[in-house]
Amino acid sequence: RGSSDGKPPKFQPPPKPVIIDRKTQKEERRFLSPEFIPPRGRTDPLKYYIERKDMIQRRKVFNIPEFYVGSVLAVTTADPCASAKSNRFVGICIQRGGKGLGATFVLRNVIEDQGVEICYELYSPRIQAIEVLKLEKRLDENLTYLRDALPEYSTFDVNMKPVPRMDHEEIPVNKLQVRMKPKPWSKRWERPKYNIKGIKFELPEHKMKAAQKWSQPWLEFDMLREYDTSKIEEKIRKELSEQLEK
Amino acid sequence: MMPIWTKSGEKKAVTLLKVQDCHVLRYVSKEESGGKTAKLLVGGKNVSPFSKPESAHEIFKEAGVPPKQKVTTFNVTDDAIIKPGTPLYAAHFRPGQFVDVTAKTIGKGFQGVVKRWGFKGQPASHGQTKTHRRPGAISTNKAAKVYRGKKMPGKMGNIYRTSFGLKVWRINTKHDIIYVNGSVPGHTNCLVKVRDSKLPTYKDCNKNPPFPTFFADGDEELPEDLFDEEIFQFTDPSVTFA
Repeated sequence: RGSSDGKPPKFQPPPKPVIIDRKTQKEERRFLSPEFIPPRGRTDPLKYYIERKDMIQRRKVFNIPEFYVGSVLAVTTADPCASAKSNRFVGICIQRGGKGLGATFVLRNVIEDQGVEICYELYSPRIQAIEVLKLEKRLDENLTYLRDALPEYSTFDVNMKPVPRMDHEEIPVNKLQVRMKPKPWSKRWERPKYNIKGIKFELPEHKMKAAQKWSQPWLEFDMLREYDTSKIEEKIRKELSEQLEK
Repeated sequence: MMPIWTKSGEKKAVTLLKVQDCHVLRYVSKEESGGKTAKLLVGGKNVSPFSKPESAHEIFKEAGVPPKQKVTTFNVTDDAIIKPGTPLYAAHFRPGQFVDVTAKTIGKGFQGVVKRWGFKGQPASHGQTKTHRRPGAISTNKAAKVYRGKKMPGKMGNIYRTSFGLKVWRINTKHDIIYVNGSVPGHTNCLVKVRDSKLPTYKDCNKNPPFPTFFADGDEELPEDLFDEEIFQFTDPSVTFA
């Protein structure tokens, strides 16, 4: 308005900014078992599609629960040589390998002072039940260093009760740092190529520094090694959720 | 390759072979070919006509079929002759049959005698001068010559080889896939020739296969997956031993 009052025009405060808080919108935790993600290669995607159909078929009949490396599982398998014809083994999952129907996981336990590791195939028809006694993650994807750790870190009670947990809690990450037996170890775990965070190294400083000589700092910037699985994972998740509802 | 389990819980490794646009191209009679049996020329995967010379297009035009990447011959008895132009499907084979698979092996290039023929070479230390993977002696003194066919370094691989007597465990009729026991020569996605086994142990093995072949426009309605009797199907509950 141009009416001159002699005073300056009335101060119009700027419009208040609208804050859209995206962080509070919780992301739904959706777990996709790692054996569904196809590896990088020149194989026809039709092969993975057919394998996935078989895997889904098996999952409809037999429940394969969600578990990570570091969770404690109890597996009952059919065994022709055992009396009662079935065999139950409790252990901590050390590593998960293989893709597709040949996916495996290794359970480790120390029974009567003897370390025992058993490698089970997820989709084998001889497995009769898989129960997750304790669902948790550890600081590393591969716990093979437990072979060189003190046996107390690999012992689990065979008659352990399942630890109760709420359905919608976040999966706890056990930040346990494991103490090792004296060297020599089966592998030089202090070297940066294994990138282990879950060991409390009690080695002298100069040895830890000498191990860093084998570090390859350029590897994390190597673009040819990048394998972005987000889009593939989305497609597979959609396919899985459709098929399992049928 | 994929694992497959039997009803007793044993694991078998299985190779997946896809039957991709196979058509019968030409019938060559016994007298024409000069052999003991009649022959049928069969073509494999479809390919663009620009990758084949004009002279090769004739066979495909006669049969009325797009140009194929590979053409093979099958020796056929007179009662199994098929009209040129008929498509061939994976349902031609049935689970429980035995099969020979031929393909070109993976090419390894020019290779030395240790990798190519499995020679032991020489020790790594104890005074060996510049001799660790060499053939050593190639003939005797009395022979005074090197025999023909002496194993020496050369190009290895990229030749046709056959795996005999492979059992067919499963057939997928929707995607035309044959699940064959064990491994097969060739790299992934290479072209492969699958034929009824010629081994004497499997001479009378085929119990009522589709003869001369499986016709898609026929009356038979096959289920999507055909399994062998011993295969564990994932719709069943887990295996238990009584």
